[in-house]
Amino acid sequence: MTALTVSNIALWAVVLSLSLVVLALLRQIGVLHERIAPAGALMLNRGLTIGERAPMIDAVDLEGQELRVGAPRSDGRSTLLVFISPTCPVCKTLLPVLKSGRRDEKQWLEVILASDGDREEHRQFAADHGLGGLPYVVSAPLGIAYQVSRLPFAALLDAGGVLRARGLVNSREHLESLFEAQRLGVASLQEYFSSHG
Amino acid sequence: MLDPVPGVLIIASFVVLFASAAAHKLRDLKRFDAVFGAYELLPLAGRMQVSWLVPVLEAAVAIGLLWSGSRPYAGCTGMVLLLLYAGAMALNLRRGRRDIACGCGGPDERRTIAAWMAWRNLVLALLLGIGLWPWSGRALLMTDRLTIGFGLASAIVIYLCLDRLGTLARQARLLKGLQ
Repeated sequence: MTALTVSNIALWAVVLSLSLVVLALLRQIGVLHERIAPAGALMLNRGLTIGERAPMIDAVDLEGQELRVGAPRSDGRSTLLVFISPTCPVCKTLLPVLKSGRRDEKQWLEVILASDGDREEHRQFAADHGLGGLPYVVSAPLGIAYQVSRLPFAALLDAGGVLRARGLVNSREHLESLFEAQRLGVASLQEYFSSHG
Repeated sequence: MLDPVPGVLIIASFVVLFASAAAHKLRDLKRFDAVFGAYELLPLAGRMQVSWLVPVLEAAVAIGLLWSGSRPYAGCTGMVLLLLYAGAMALNLRRGRRDIACGCGGPDERRTIAAWMAWRNLVLALLLGIGLWPWSGRALLMTDRLTIGFGLASAIVIYLCLDRLGTLARQARLLKGLQ
């Protein structure tokens, strides 16, 4: 074997090794992209479909104000309906996010809390967690209409009362995924990542 | 006249490309039939008879490229296939159907079609055309054989890198679309 052949083998081995390293790095970048992609709110199969007109349901909030949930809004803002419960620990961790979200997004969004059960228990819950400024309705028909089976559950309605996004929201990220889904015109971020090129 | 080293290297690369493409499709013909149907190129009646022909043709191209007698025919068929794939993707992209599966990987591959894939196929067709150019009759030396062997391995890895770069660009674009 000549020196030229040996050096040729060595050079090719280096080229091949470097190519394999580049391939491994590209695979790692792909993994990182998947990890940094925001997680979308979990969509449940049952319930209203995205793009469907939400049912208009009359309810009274804890402060005695009458609300027609799902009705088109004259101020052009969307409505985020969040179903919670005083006995749900995750709901409690979500409350600061809802309060800050309502403050930060008030230009285009109104947040309404919804639940069912004993009004007094909810009044106490609202007082304990400083939910005074948030509309809070206690209405069993509302939960039935949206077929809420797990909490915390959120539904985002546009100004016309059309359902734009919905799902289980365990974190700020999940909640923001609903806003992004509405902005992008998709049912969920999962759909966006799987089918949009 | 083309030197036999790049000639053999190009042809060997396309043998691997067409053989792996055929194997991926033959692994799950039912799935490939669905992918093929989604391109909406032919009426439904004729689709079943054509979809299985694609991997068979690809396998025939891979085998035909191995012998110098059949190489020009297999090469031209391969070029036509590559151009047809590019055309089918370009047509569907023009139709605005960006969400259909490309069918360019195995049965588990769910990648959607993209413009870069159509361009890639055009470049591949051109490269195959270069490989079909007449070769000089020079005898292959030991270093030539090394170049062909290692070059083929490098070409496969570089192709996989470029393929992954295309997927990464799509992922990056999707992430950029989020606020």
